Amino acid sequence: MQEFNISEGNLEQCLKCNLCTLVCPMMQVNEYYPGPKKAGPDGERYRLKDPDYYDYALKYCLNCKRCEVSCPSGVKVGDIIQAARLKYAGHNLRDFVLASTDLVGSLSTPFAPIVNATLKARPVKAVLHTVMGVDAQRKFPSYSQKTFTRWFRKASVPGGEADQSGFERFVRFYHGCYVQYNYPQLGKDLVKVVNAAGYGVRLLEGERCCGVALISNSFGRQATRQARANIAALQQAVAAGEDIVTVSSTCTFTLRDEYPNVLHLDNAAVRPHLTLLSRWLCRQGPLPFRKDLHLRIAYHTACHMQKLGWRSYTLQLLRQIPGVEVIELEPRCCGIAGTFGFKKENYAWSQAIGQGLFDAIREIAPDYVVTECETCKWQIEMSTGVPVLNPVSLLAMSIV
Amino acid sequence: MKFDALIIGGGRSGSAAGRALLSRGLHVCVVADGLHLGVDGADPYAHLNALAREGATVLRGDRALRGIWEEGRLRAVQTVKLEDEPIEASVFVLATGKFFSRGLLSDMERVYEPVFGADVSFLSGRSNWYAADFFAPQPFLDFGVQTDPEGHVLFGGVPCPNLYAVGGILAKGAAAADPARISLSTQD
Repeated sequence: MQEFNISEGNLEQCLKCNLCTLVCPMMQVNEYYPGPKKAGPDGERYRLKDPDYYDYALKYCLNCKRCEVSCPSGVKVGDIIQAARLKYAGHNLRDFVLASTDLVGSLSTPFAPIVNATLKARPVKAVLHTVMGVDAQRKFPSYSQKTFTRWFRKASVPGGEADQSGFERFVRFYHGCYVQYNYPQLGKDLVKVVNAAGYGVRLLEGERCCGVALISNSFGRQATRQARANIAALQQAVAAGEDIVTVSSTCTFTLRDEYPNVLHLDNAAVRPHLTLLSRWLCRQGPLPFRKDLHLRIAYHTACHMQKLGWRSYTLQLLRQIPGVEVIELEPRCCGIAGTFGFKKENYAWSQAIGQGLFDAIREIAPDYVVTECETCKWQIEMSTGVPVLNPVSLLAMSIV
Repeated sequence: MKFDALIIGGGRSGSAAGRALLSRGLHVCVVADGLHLGVDGADPYAHLNALAREGATVLRGDRALRGIWEEGRLRAVQTVKLEDEPIEASVFVLATGKFFSRGLLSDMERVYEPVFGADVSFLSGRSNWYAADFFAPQPFLDFGVQTDPEGHVLFGGVPCPNLYAVGGILAKGAAAADPARISLSTQD
Protein backbone atom coordinates (compact mmCIF):
# COMPACT_ATOMS: atom_id res chain seq x y z
CA MET A 1 0.00 0.00 0.00
CA GLN A 2 2.78 2.39 1.11
CA GLU A 3 4.66 2.15 -2.17
CA PHE A 4 1.64 3.34 -4.16
CA ASN A 5 0.91 6.21 -1.79
CA ILE A 6 3.15 8.91 -3.23
CA SER A 7 2.97 12.23 -1.44
CA GLU A 8 4.68 15.56 -2.12
CA GLY A 9 8.30 15.23 -1.01
CA ASN A 10 7.61 11.66 0.16
CA LEU A 11 6.31 13.07 3.42
CA GLU A 12 4.24 10.04 4.39
CA GLN A 13 7.43 7.95 4.50
CA CYS A 14 8.71 9.84 7.57
CA LEU A 15 9.17 7.42 10.47
CA LYS A 16 9.85 10.22 13.00
CA CYS A 17 13.34 8.83 13.64
CA ASN A 18 14.75 12.35 14.01
CA LEU A 19 18.05 11.62 12.27
CA CYS A 20 17.41 14.83 10.31
CA THR A 21 17.12 16.70 13.60
CA LEU A 22 20.45 15.21 14.68
CA VAL A 23 22.32 16.56 11.64
CA CYS A 24 20.53 19.92 11.29
CA PRO A 25 23.11 22.68 11.89
CA MET A 26 20.43 25.18 12.92
CA MET A 27 19.09 22.87 15.63
CA GLN A 28 22.44 23.04 17.41
CA VAL A 29 22.29 26.81 17.94
CA ASN A 30 18.74 28.15 17.61
CA GLU A 31 16.05 27.18 20.09
CA TYR A 32 13.36 28.96 18.03
CA TYR A 33 13.75 26.63 15.05
CA PRO A 34 11.39 23.65 15.30
CA GLY A 35 13.81 21.40 13.40
CA PRO A 36 13.56 19.69 10.01
CA LYS A 37 11.16 16.93 11.04
CA LYS A 38 8.67 19.29 12.64
CA ALA A 39 9.11 22.04 10.03
CA GLY A 40 9.05 19.54 7.14
CA PRO A 41 6.90 16.41 7.08
CA ASP A 42 5.16 16.99 10.45
CA GLY A 43 4.27 20.59 9.69
CA GLU A 44 3.19 19.81 6.12
CA ARG A 45 0.40 17.57 7.40
CA TYR A 46 -1.00 20.52 9.33
CA ARG A 47 -0.44 23.00 6.50
CA LEU A 48 -2.36 20.74 4.14
CA LYS A 49 -5.32 21.05 6.48
CA ASP A 50 -5.04 24.78 7.04
CA PRO A 51 -2.35 27.22 5.78
CA ASP A 52 -2.68 29.14 9.05
CA TYR A 53 -0.53 26.43 10.59
CA TYR A 54 2.45 27.84 8.66
CA ASP A 55 5.14 28.59 11.23
CA TYR A 56 7.28 31.64 10.48
CA ALA A 57 10.21 29.96 12.26
CA LEU A 58 10.67 28.03 8.99
CA LYS A 59 12.67 31.07 7.87
CA TYR A 60 15.52 29.67 9.96
CA CYS A 61 15.99 26.69 7.61
CA LEU A 62 19.37 27.09 5.88
CA ASN A 63 18.31 24.97 2.87
CA CYS A 64 21.54 23.02 3.39
CA LYS A 65 19.70 19.71 2.65
CA ARG A 66 21.68 17.82 5.26
CA CYS A 67 18.31 16.54 6.51
CA GLU A 68 17.67 14.95 3.12
CA VAL A 69 21.11 13.39 2.92
CA SER A 70 20.61 11.85 6.36
CA CYS A 71 17.02 10.61 5.89
CA PRO A 72 16.97 6.81 5.68
CA SER A 73 13.43 6.88 4.26
CA GLY A 74 14.00 9.18 1.29
CA VAL A 75 11.84 12.02 2.63
CA LYS A 76 12.63 15.30 0.86
CA VAL A 77 12.62 17.19 4.13
CA GLY A 78 14.40 20.30 2.85
CA ASP A 79 12.26 20.47 -0.29
CA ILE A 80 9.07 20.31 1.78
CA ILE A 81 10.28 23.24 3.89
CA GLN A 82 11.36 25.24 0.82
CA ALA A 83 8.05 24.60 -0.93
CA ALA A 84 6.16 25.79 2.17
CA ARG A 85 8.27 28.93 2.35
CA LEU A 86 7.68 29.66 -1.34
CA LYS A 87 3.95 29.25 -0.78
CA TYR A 88 3.40 31.07 2.49
CA ALA A 89 6.38 33.21 3.54
CA GLY A 90 6.55 36.95 2.97
CA HIS A 91 9.59 39.03 2.05
CA ASN A 92 10.82 42.61 2.16
CA LEU A 93 13.01 45.02 0.19
CA ARG A 94 16.18 43.72 1.88
CA ASP A 95 15.38 40.18 0.77
CA PHE A 96 14.70 41.39 -2.79
CA VAL A 97 18.06 43.20 -3.00
CA LEU A 98 19.97 40.22 -1.58
CA ALA A 99 18.19 37.74 -3.85
CA SER A 100 18.38 39.72 -7.10
CA THR A 101 21.98 38.88 -7.89
CA ASP A 102 21.71 39.55 -11.63
CA LEU A 103 20.04 42.93 -11.18
CA VAL A 104 22.31 44.14 -8.38
CA GLY A 105 25.41 42.71 -10.09
CA SER A 106 24.72 44.37 -13.44
CA LEU A 107 24.01 47.72 -11.73
CA SER A 108 27.13 47.50 -9.55
CA THR A 109 29.86 46.35 -11.95
CA PRO A 110 30.03 49.56 -14.06
CA PHE A 111 30.67 51.52 -10.84
CA ALA A 112 32.62 48.77 -9.07
CA PRO A 113 35.36 50.93 -7.43
CA ILE A 114 32.75 53.31 -5.99
CA VAL A 115 30.36 50.52 -4.93
CA ASN A 116 33.16 48.52 -3.29
CA ALA A 117 34.50 51.53 -1.38
CA THR A 118 31.00 52.57 -0.33
CA LEU A 119 30.09 49.11 0.97
CA LYS A 120 33.22 49.14 3.15
CA ALA A 121 32.48 52.58 4.67
CA ARG A 122 31.34 52.41 8.28
CA PRO A 123 28.50 54.95 7.96
CA VAL A 124 27.12 53.02 4.98
CA LYS A 125 27.37 49.75 6.88
CA ALA A 126 25.56 51.35 9.82
CA VAL A 127 22.75 52.53 7.54
CA LEU A 128 22.51 49.12 5.84
CA HIS A 129 22.40 47.48 9.27
CA THR A 130 19.74 49.76 10.73
CA VAL A 131 17.56 50.52 7.74
CA MET A 132 18.02 47.47 5.50
CA GLY A 133 18.78 44.77 8.09
CA VAL A 134 22.06 43.71 6.49
CA ASP A 135 24.56 42.97 9.24
CA ALA A 136 27.35 45.53 9.61
CA GLN A 137 29.87 42.87 10.64
CA ARG A 138 29.49 41.00 7.35
CA LYS A 139 32.08 41.69 4.66
CA PHE A 140 30.61 42.08 1.19
CA PRO A 141 32.24 40.38 -1.77
CA SER A 142 33.82 42.97 -4.07
CA TYR A 143 32.39 43.64 -7.50
CA SER A 144 34.59 43.44 -10.57
CA GLN A 145 34.73 46.41 -12.91
CA LYS A 146 34.56 44.11 -15.92
CA THR A 147 32.19 41.16 -16.13
CA PHE A 148 33.46 37.73 -17.12
CA THR A 149 31.49 37.67 -20.37
CA ARG A 150 32.86 41.07 -21.37
CA TRP A 151 36.39 39.75 -20.87
CA PHE A 152 35.63 36.52 -22.73
CA ARG A 153 34.06 38.21 -25.73
CA LYS A 154 36.81 40.78 -26.13
CA ALA A 155 38.61 39.77 -29.33
CA SER A 156 42.18 40.49 -28.25
CA VAL A 157 42.41 38.69 -24.86
CA PRO A 158 44.39 35.44 -24.66
CA GLY A 159 42.02 32.60 -23.72
CA GLY A 160 39.01 34.61 -24.86
CA GLU A 161 36.34 33.61 -27.35
CA ALA A 162 38.55 34.17 -30.40
CA ASP A 163 41.18 31.76 -29.04
CA GLN A 164 38.60 29.03 -28.55
CA SER A 165 37.93 28.57 -32.26
CA GLY A 166 41.09 26.48 -32.62
CA PHE A 167 39.51 23.55 -30.76
CA GLU A 168 37.53 20.75 -32.32
CA ARG A 169 35.53 19.79 -29.22
CA PHE A 170 33.66 22.15 -26.91
CA VAL A 171 31.94 22.42 -23.56
CA ARG A 172 29.53 25.16 -22.54
CA PHE A 173 30.27 27.09 -19.37
CA TYR A 174 27.48 28.08 -16.99
CA HIS A 175 29.44 30.79 -15.16
CA GLY A 176 26.86 31.97 -12.60
CA CYS A 177 26.67 35.38 -10.90
CA TYR A 178 29.81 35.12 -8.79
CA VAL A 179 32.09 34.59 -11.79
CA GLN A 180 30.21 37.15 -13.83
CA TYR A 181 30.04 40.08 -11.41
CA ASN A 182 32.46 39.40 -8.55
CA TYR A 183 35.35 37.19 -9.56
CA PRO A 184 35.89 36.77 -13.34
CA GLN A 185 39.31 35.27 -12.61
CA LEU A 186 37.57 32.00 -11.67
CA GLY A 187 36.00 31.89 -15.14
CA LYS A 188 39.41 32.58 -16.72
CA ASP A 189 40.81 29.72 -14.63
CA LEU A 190 38.11 27.40 -15.96
CA VAL A 191 38.94 28.36 -19.53
CA LYS A 192 42.63 27.60 -18.88
CA VAL A 193 41.87 24.17 -17.37
CA VAL A 194 39.31 23.16 -20.03
CA ASN A 195 41.70 24.24 -22.80
CA ALA A 196 44.46 22.17 -21.15
CA ALA A 197 42.11 19.18 -21.29
CA GLY A 198 41.82 19.69 -25.07
CA TYR A 199 38.39 21.34 -25.26
CA GLY A 200 37.28 24.81 -26.23
CA VAL A 201 34.82 26.83 -24.12
CA ARG A 202 31.57 28.32 -25.32
CA LEU A 203 29.08 30.36 -23.33
CA LEU A 204 25.37 29.70 -23.06
CA GLU A 205 22.95 31.94 -24.90
CA GLY A 206 20.78 33.78 -22.40
CA GLU A 207 22.15 32.39 -19.13
CA ARG A 208 20.50 33.82 -16.00
CA CYS A 209 21.24 33.52 -12.28
CA CYS A 210 20.31 30.00 -11.13
CA GLY A 211 17.82 31.56 -8.73
CA VAL A 212 18.86 29.84 -5.50
CA ALA A 213 18.68 33.10 -3.57
CA LEU A 214 15.24 33.82 -5.03
CA ILE A 215 14.05 30.38 -3.94
CA SER A 216 15.36 30.71 -0.40
CA ASN A 217 13.92 34.23 -0.09
CA SER A 218 10.50 33.04 -1.31
CA PHE A 219 10.43 34.76 -4.70
CA GLY A 220 8.91 31.76 -6.45
CA ARG A 221 7.58 33.52 -9.54
CA GLN A 222 10.87 35.24 -10.33
CA ALA A 223 12.83 32.05 -9.64
CA THR A 224 10.58 30.08 -12.01
CA ARG A 225 11.00 32.68 -14.74
CA GLN A 226 14.80 32.49 -14.46
CA ALA A 227 14.75 28.72 -14.28
CA ARG A 228 12.73 28.50 -17.52
CA ALA A 229 15.23 30.79 -19.27
CA ASN A 230 18.13 28.67 -18.01
CA ILE A 231 16.55 25.37 -19.04
CA ALA A 232 16.03 26.81 -22.55
CA ALA A 233 19.68 27.94 -22.67
CA LEU A 234 20.90 24.55 -21.46
CA GLN A 235 18.70 22.76 -24.01
CA GLN A 236 20.45 24.62 -26.82
CA ALA A 237 23.81 23.31 -25.61
CA VAL A 238 22.52 19.75 -25.27
CA ALA A 239 21.04 19.94 -28.78
CA ALA A 240 24.52 20.90 -30.02
CA GLY A 241 25.89 17.75 -28.33
CA GLU A 242 27.89 19.68 -25.73
CA ASP A 243 28.19 19.11 -21.98
CA ILE A 244 27.67 22.05 -19.66
CA VAL A 245 30.30 22.59 -16.97
CA THR A 246 30.04 24.69 -13.82
CA VAL A 247 32.29 25.86 -11.01
CA SER A 248 29.75 26.41 -8.20
CA SER A 249 28.25 23.50 -6.25
CA THR A 250 25.18 25.54 -5.31
CA CYS A 251 24.40 26.67 -8.87
CA THR A 252 24.86 23.08 -10.06
CA PHE A 253 22.61 21.67 -7.35
CA THR A 254 19.94 24.30 -8.02
CA LEU A 255 19.92 23.78 -11.80
CA ARG A 256 19.84 19.99 -11.43
CA ASP A 257 17.68 19.37 -8.37
CA GLU A 258 15.84 22.46 -7.10
CA TYR A 259 14.25 23.08 -10.51
CA PRO A 260 12.39 19.75 -10.62
CA ASN A 261 11.94 19.20 -6.87
CA VAL A 262 11.04 22.67 -5.61
CA LEU A 263 9.97 24.64 -8.70
CA HIS A 264 8.40 21.57 -10.39
CA LEU A 265 10.03 22.29 -13.74
CA ASP A 266 11.05 19.52 -16.10
CA ASN A 267 14.83 19.57 -16.63
CA ALA A 268 15.22 15.85 -17.38
CA ALA A 269 16.65 16.46 -20.86
CA VAL A 270 19.47 18.68 -19.62
CA ARG A 271 20.16 17.36 -16.09
CA PRO A 272 22.51 14.51 -17.07
CA HIS A 273 24.62 16.87 -19.23
CA LEU A 274 25.15 19.46 -16.51
CA THR A 275 28.09 18.81 -14.22
CA LEU A 276 30.76 20.37 -12.08
CA LEU A 277 34.08 20.75 -13.86
CA SER A 278 35.84 18.37 -11.44
CA ARG A 279 33.44 15.54 -12.34
CA TRP A 280 33.79 16.29 -16.04
CA LEU A 281 37.61 16.33 -15.77
CA CYS A 282 37.66 12.87 -14.16
CA ARG A 283 36.36 11.52 -17.48
CA GLN A 284 39.14 13.24 -19.45
CA GLY A 285 42.83 12.42 -19.80
CA PRO A 286 45.49 13.55 -17.30
CA LEU A 287 46.26 17.26 -17.03
CA PRO A 288 49.82 18.60 -17.63
CA PHE A 289 50.67 19.37 -13.99
CA ARG A 290 53.66 21.42 -12.86
CA LYS A 291 56.01 19.71 -10.44
CA ASP A 292 57.22 22.70 -8.43
CA LEU A 293 54.25 23.34 -6.13
CA HIS A 294 54.51 22.93 -2.36
CA LEU A 295 51.07 23.53 -0.87
CA ARG A 296 49.04 22.24 2.04
CA ILE A 297 45.33 22.58 1.40
CA ALA A 298 42.23 21.72 3.42
CA TYR A 299 39.17 20.63 1.43
CA HIS A 300 35.81 21.81 2.77
CA THR A 301 32.71 19.93 1.59
CA ALA A 302 30.00 22.54 1.04
CA CYS A 303 26.52 21.35 2.06
CA HIS A 304 25.24 21.34 -1.53
CA MET A 305 28.36 19.46 -2.60
CA GLN A 306 27.48 16.90 0.06
CA LYS A 307 23.98 16.72 -1.39
CA LEU A 308 25.38 16.28 -4.93
CA GLY A 309 27.61 13.47 -3.57
CA TRP A 310 30.50 14.37 -5.88
CA ARG A 311 33.30 15.37 -3.54
CA SER A 312 35.23 12.19 -4.35
CA TYR A 313 35.77 13.53 -7.90
CA THR A 314 37.31 16.74 -6.61
CA LEU A 315 39.46 14.96 -4.03
CA GLN A 316 40.64 12.48 -6.67
CA LEU A 317 41.75 15.37 -8.92
CA LEU A 318 43.38 17.41 -6.18
CA ARG A 319 45.36 14.38 -5.01
CA GLN A 320 46.83 14.04 -8.50
CA ILE A 321 48.56 17.43 -8.24
CA PRO A 322 52.27 16.89 -7.44
CA GLY A 323 53.44 18.68 -4.30
CA VAL A 324 49.94 19.36 -2.93
CA GLU A 325 49.01 17.82 0.42
CA VAL A 326 45.23 17.44 0.65
CA ILE A 327 43.55 17.32 4.08
CA GLU A 328 39.83 16.54 4.16
CA LEU A 329 37.92 18.64 6.66
CA GLU A 330 35.06 16.90 8.43
CA PRO A 331 31.93 17.89 6.45
CA ARG A 332 30.23 20.68 8.44
CA CYS A 333 28.04 23.61 7.54
CA CYS A 334 29.91 26.94 7.51
CA GLY A 335 26.73 28.75 8.56
CA ILE A 336 26.38 31.43 5.89
CA ALA A 337 23.80 29.63 3.73
CA GLY A 338 23.87 32.17 0.90
CA THR A 339 21.96 35.29 1.86
CA PHE A 340 20.95 33.92 5.29
CA GLY A 341 24.13 35.02 7.05
CA PHE A 342 23.95 38.54 5.61
CA LYS A 343 20.72 39.28 7.49
CA LYS A 344 21.36 40.98 10.80
CA GLU A 345 18.87 38.83 12.71
CA ASN A 346 20.80 35.71 11.60
CA TYR A 347 24.42 36.83 11.90
CA ALA A 348 25.09 35.41 15.38
CA TRP A 349 23.56 32.03 14.46
CA SER A 350 25.47 31.97 11.22
CA GLN A 351 28.78 32.42 13.03
CA ALA A 352 27.87 29.97 15.81
CA ILE A 353 27.08 27.23 13.26
CA GLY A 354 30.41 27.72 11.52
CA GLN A 355 32.51 27.88 14.70
CA GLY A 356 33.51 24.19 14.65
CA LEU A 357 34.66 24.48 11.03
CA PHE A 358 36.57 27.71 11.70
CA ASP A 359 38.35 26.10 14.67
CA ALA A 360 39.29 23.03 12.59
CA ILE A 361 40.71 25.26 9.82
CA ARG A 362 42.71 27.38 12.28
CA GLU A 363 44.14 24.24 13.85
CA ILE A 364 45.28 22.85 10.48
CA ALA A 365 46.50 26.29 9.29
CA PRO A 366 46.56 25.32 5.58
CA ASP A 367 47.90 27.52 2.80
CA TYR A 368 44.43 27.46 1.27
CA VAL A 369 40.99 26.10 2.02
CA VAL A 370 39.48 24.64 -1.15
CA THR A 371 35.74 24.48 -1.74
CA GLU A 372 33.28 24.70 -4.62
CA CYS A 373 30.91 27.13 -2.89
CA GLU A 374 31.44 30.89 -3.20
CA THR A 375 29.42 31.82 -0.12
CA CYS A 376 31.36 29.29 1.99
CA LYS A 377 34.45 31.10 0.66
CA TRP A 378 33.19 34.48 1.89
CA GLN A 379 32.30 33.03 5.29
CA ILE A 380 35.56 31.12 5.80
CA GLU A 381 37.79 33.97 4.61
CA MET A 382 35.97 36.46 6.82
CA SER A 383 35.94 34.21 9.87
CA THR A 384 39.38 32.58 9.70
CA GLY A 385 41.55 34.82 7.54
CA VAL A 386 42.66 31.76 5.53
CA PRO A 387 42.35 32.34 1.75
CA VAL A 388 39.82 30.10 -0.02
CA LEU A 389 40.10 28.82 -3.58
CA ASN A 390 37.69 27.06 -5.87
CA PRO A 391 39.26 23.71 -6.95
CA VAL A 392 39.25 25.04 -10.52
CA SER A 393 41.55 27.91 -9.51
CA LEU A 394 43.91 25.49 -7.74
CA LEU A 395 43.97 23.31 -10.87
CA ALA A 396 44.67 26.38 -13.01
CA MET A 397 47.59 27.25 -10.69
CA SER A 398 48.86 23.69 -10.95
CA ILE A 399 49.00 23.20 -14.71
CA VAL A 400 51.78 24.24 -17.03
CA MET B 1 36.49 4.67 -10.02
CA LYS B 2 38.09 1.37 -9.21
CA PHE B 3 38.97 -0.11 -5.82
CA ASP B 4 40.13 -3.36 -4.28
CA ALA B 5 37.09 -3.51 -2.02
CA LEU B 6 33.76 -1.70 -2.09
CA ILE B 7 31.80 -1.71 1.17
CA ILE B 8 28.12 -1.02 0.66
CA GLY B 9 26.90 0.52 3.91
CA GLY B 10 28.74 2.80 6.34
CA GLY B 11 27.22 1.67 9.63
CA ARG B 12 28.92 -0.16 12.47
CA SER B 13 29.61 -3.37 10.48
CA GLY B 14 30.52 -1.63 7.22
CA SER B 15 32.96 0.69 9.00
CA ALA B 16 34.53 -2.24 10.88
CA ALA B 17 34.92 -4.21 7.64
CA GLY B 18 36.41 -1.13 5.95
CA ARG B 19 38.98 -0.66 8.70
CA ALA B 20 39.90 -4.35 8.71
CA LEU B 21 40.47 -4.29 4.95
CA LEU B 22 42.37 -0.99 5.07
CA SER B 23 44.69 -2.47 7.66
CA ARG B 24 45.44 -5.28 5.22
CA GLY B 25 46.60 -2.72 2.69
CA LEU B 26 43.54 -2.74 0.44
CA HIS B 27 42.28 0.27 -1.50
CA VAL B 28 38.81 0.67 0.03
CA CYS B 29 35.68 2.63 -0.87
CA VAL B 30 32.63 2.86 1.41
CA VAL B 31 29.20 3.89 0.13
CA ALA B 32 27.64 5.32 3.28
CA ASP B 33 23.98 6.21 2.93
CA GLY B 34 23.04 9.12 5.16
CA LEU B 35 25.30 11.19 7.36
CA HIS B 36 24.77 9.05 10.41
CA LEU B 37 26.06 5.81 11.77
CA GLY B 38 22.71 4.51 12.88
CA VAL B 39 20.01 5.25 15.40
CA ASP B 40 22.27 4.02 18.18
CA GLY B 41 25.26 6.06 16.99
CA ALA B 42 26.21 8.39 19.82
CA ASP B 43 29.02 9.86 17.74
CA PRO B 44 27.57 9.66 14.25
CA TYR B 45 30.58 10.86 12.32
CA ALA B 46 33.47 9.28 14.20
CA HIS B 47 33.70 5.93 12.41
CA LEU B 48 33.38 7.30 8.89
CA ASN B 49 35.77 10.17 9.62
CA ALA B 50 38.34 7.71 10.95
CA LEU B 51 37.97 5.63 7.80
CA ALA B 52 38.44 8.69 5.59
CA ARG B 53 41.50 9.77 7.59
CA GLU B 54 43.02 6.31 7.20
CA GLY B 55 42.73 6.53 3.42
CA ALA B 56 39.35 5.05 2.48
CA THR B 57 37.19 6.87 -0.06
CA VAL B 58 33.90 7.49 1.75
CA LEU B 59 30.93 8.35 -0.45
CA ARG B 60 28.65 9.92 2.15
CA GLY B 61 24.99 10.30 1.42
CA ASP B 62 25.10 7.97 -1.55
CA ARG B 63 23.18 4.72 -1.98
CA ALA B 64 23.88 1.60 -4.04
CA LEU B 65 21.25 1.08 -6.73
CA ARG B 66 22.18 -2.13 -8.51
CA GLY B 67 25.01 -4.47 -9.37
CA ILE B 68 26.66 -4.91 -12.75
CA TRP B 69 27.56 -8.55 -13.33
CA GLU B 70 30.01 -10.34 -15.57
CA GLU B 71 30.23 -14.12 -15.85
CA GLY B 72 28.77 -14.81 -12.40
CA ARG B 73 30.93 -12.23 -10.65
CA LEU B 74 29.97 -8.78 -9.50
CA ARG B 75 31.99 -6.30 -11.54
CA ALA B 76 30.68 -2.92 -10.35
CA VAL B 77 27.95 -1.16 -8.42
CA GLN B 78 25.90 1.74 -9.68
CA THR B 79 24.96 4.39 -7.11
CA VAL B 80 22.31 7.11 -7.00
CA LYS B 81 24.73 10.06 -6.98
CA LEU B 82 27.43 8.82 -9.35
CA GLU B 83 24.70 7.87 -11.83
CA ASP B 84 26.27 6.55 -15.03
CA GLU B 85 29.71 5.91 -13.50
CA PRO B 86 29.63 2.55 -11.71
CA ILE B 87 32.20 1.86 -8.99
CA GLU B 88 34.35 -1.13 -9.92
CA ALA B 89 36.03 -3.38 -7.34
CA SER B 90 37.58 -6.82 -6.94
CA VAL B 91 35.44 -7.69 -3.91
CA PHE B 92 32.22 -6.27 -2.51
CA VAL B 93 30.87 -6.33 1.03
CA LEU B 94 27.15 -5.91 1.63
CA ALA B 95 26.63 -4.13 4.96
CA THR B 96 23.37 -2.27 4.46
CA GLY B 97 21.68 -3.42 7.68
CA LYS B 98 18.11 -4.55 8.12
CA PHE B 99 14.81 -2.74 7.71
CA PHE B 100 15.39 0.75 9.12
CA SER B 101 18.38 1.37 6.88
CA ARG B 102 16.56 -0.28 3.96
CA GLY B 103 19.05 -3.10 3.62
CA LEU B 104 15.93 -5.26 3.54
CA LEU B 105 12.56 -4.24 2.16
CA SER B 106 9.22 -5.97 2.32
CA ASP B 107 5.89 -5.99 0.55
CA MET B 108 2.76 -7.94 1.46
CA GLU B 109 4.20 -11.30 0.37
CA ARG B 110 7.95 -11.22 0.74
CA VAL B 111 11.07 -9.75 2.26
CA TYR B 112 13.79 -8.92 -0.25
CA GLU B 113 17.25 -7.41 -0.59
CA PRO B 114 16.83 -4.48 -3.02
CA VAL B 115 20.32 -3.88 -4.46
CA PHE B 116 21.30 -7.31 -5.77
CA GLY B 117 18.23 -9.47 -5.19
CA ALA B 118 20.21 -11.86 -2.95
CA ASP B 119 18.57 -14.89 -1.30
CA VAL B 120 16.69 -13.79 1.81
CA SER B 121 15.31 -16.15 4.43
CA PHE B 122 11.89 -15.21 5.82
CA LEU B 123 8.71 -16.92 6.94
CA SER B 124 5.88 -17.24 4.46
CA GLY B 125 2.64 -15.52 5.42
CA ARG B 126 3.01 -11.96 6.64
CA SER B 127 1.07 -12.68 9.84
CA ASN B 128 3.90 -15.01 10.88
CA TRP B 129 6.45 -12.18 10.75
CA TYR B 130 5.33 -10.64 14.06
CA ALA B 131 4.69 -11.98 17.56
CA ALA B 132 1.51 -10.58 19.11
CA ASP B 133 3.30 -10.07 22.40
CA PHE B 134 5.34 -6.90 21.90
CA PHE B 135 8.03 -8.10 24.32
CA ALA B 136 8.39 -11.57 22.77
CA PRO B 137 11.21 -12.20 20.26
CA GLN B 138 10.00 -10.85 16.89
CA PRO B 139 10.48 -13.35 14.03
CA PHE B 140 11.18 -10.62 11.44
CA LEU B 141 14.38 -9.73 13.26
CA ASP B 142 15.80 -13.12 12.26
CA PHE B 143 15.14 -12.54 8.54
CA GLY B 144 18.09 -11.67 6.36
CA VAL B 145 20.49 -12.47 3.57
CA GLN B 146 21.74 -16.03 3.26
CA THR B 147 25.42 -16.86 2.92
CA ASP B 148 27.62 -19.93 2.55
CA PRO B 149 29.97 -20.91 5.44
CA GLU B 150 32.62 -18.48 4.13
CA GLY B 151 30.23 -15.54 4.05
CA HIS B 152 29.62 -15.42 0.28
CA VAL B 153 26.14 -14.11 -0.52
CA LEU B 154 23.83 -16.71 -2.10
CA PHE B 155 21.78 -16.28 -5.27
CA GLY B 156 19.35 -19.12 -5.92
CA GLY B 157 21.48 -21.14 -3.49
CA VAL B 158 24.69 -20.47 -5.48
CA PRO B 159 27.42 -18.40 -3.75
CA CYS B 160 28.74 -15.31 -5.54
CA PRO B 161 32.56 -15.57 -5.38
CA ASN B 162 33.23 -11.87 -4.76
CA LEU B 163 30.20 -10.60 -2.80
CA TYR B 164 30.23 -11.00 0.98
CA ALA B 165 27.81 -9.91 3.69
CA VAL B 166 28.40 -8.66 7.22
CA GLY B 167 26.34 -7.22 10.07
CA GLY B 168 22.62 -6.77 10.51
CA ILE B 169 21.62 -7.79 7.01
CA LEU B 170 22.57 -11.41 7.70
CA ALA B 171 19.86 -13.95 8.45
CA LYS B 172 20.01 -15.53 11.89
CA GLY B 173 22.77 -18.16 11.82
CA ALA B 174 24.21 -17.02 8.45
CA ALA B 175 28.01 -16.82 8.40
CA ALA B 176 29.57 -13.36 8.32
CA ALA B 177 32.56 -12.85 6.06
CA ASP B 178 35.98 -12.84 7.68
CA PRO B 179 38.16 -9.85 6.62
CA ALA B 180 41.14 -12.14 6.07
CA ARG B 181 39.08 -14.23 3.62
CA ILE B 182 37.78 -11.10 1.84
CA SER B 183 41.26 -9.68 1.54
CA LEU B 184 42.62 -12.94 0.14
CA SER B 185 39.90 -13.13 -2.49
CA THR B 186 41.00 -9.81 -4.04
CA GLN B 187 43.84 -11.86 -5.48
CA ASP B 188 41.47 -14.31 -7.23
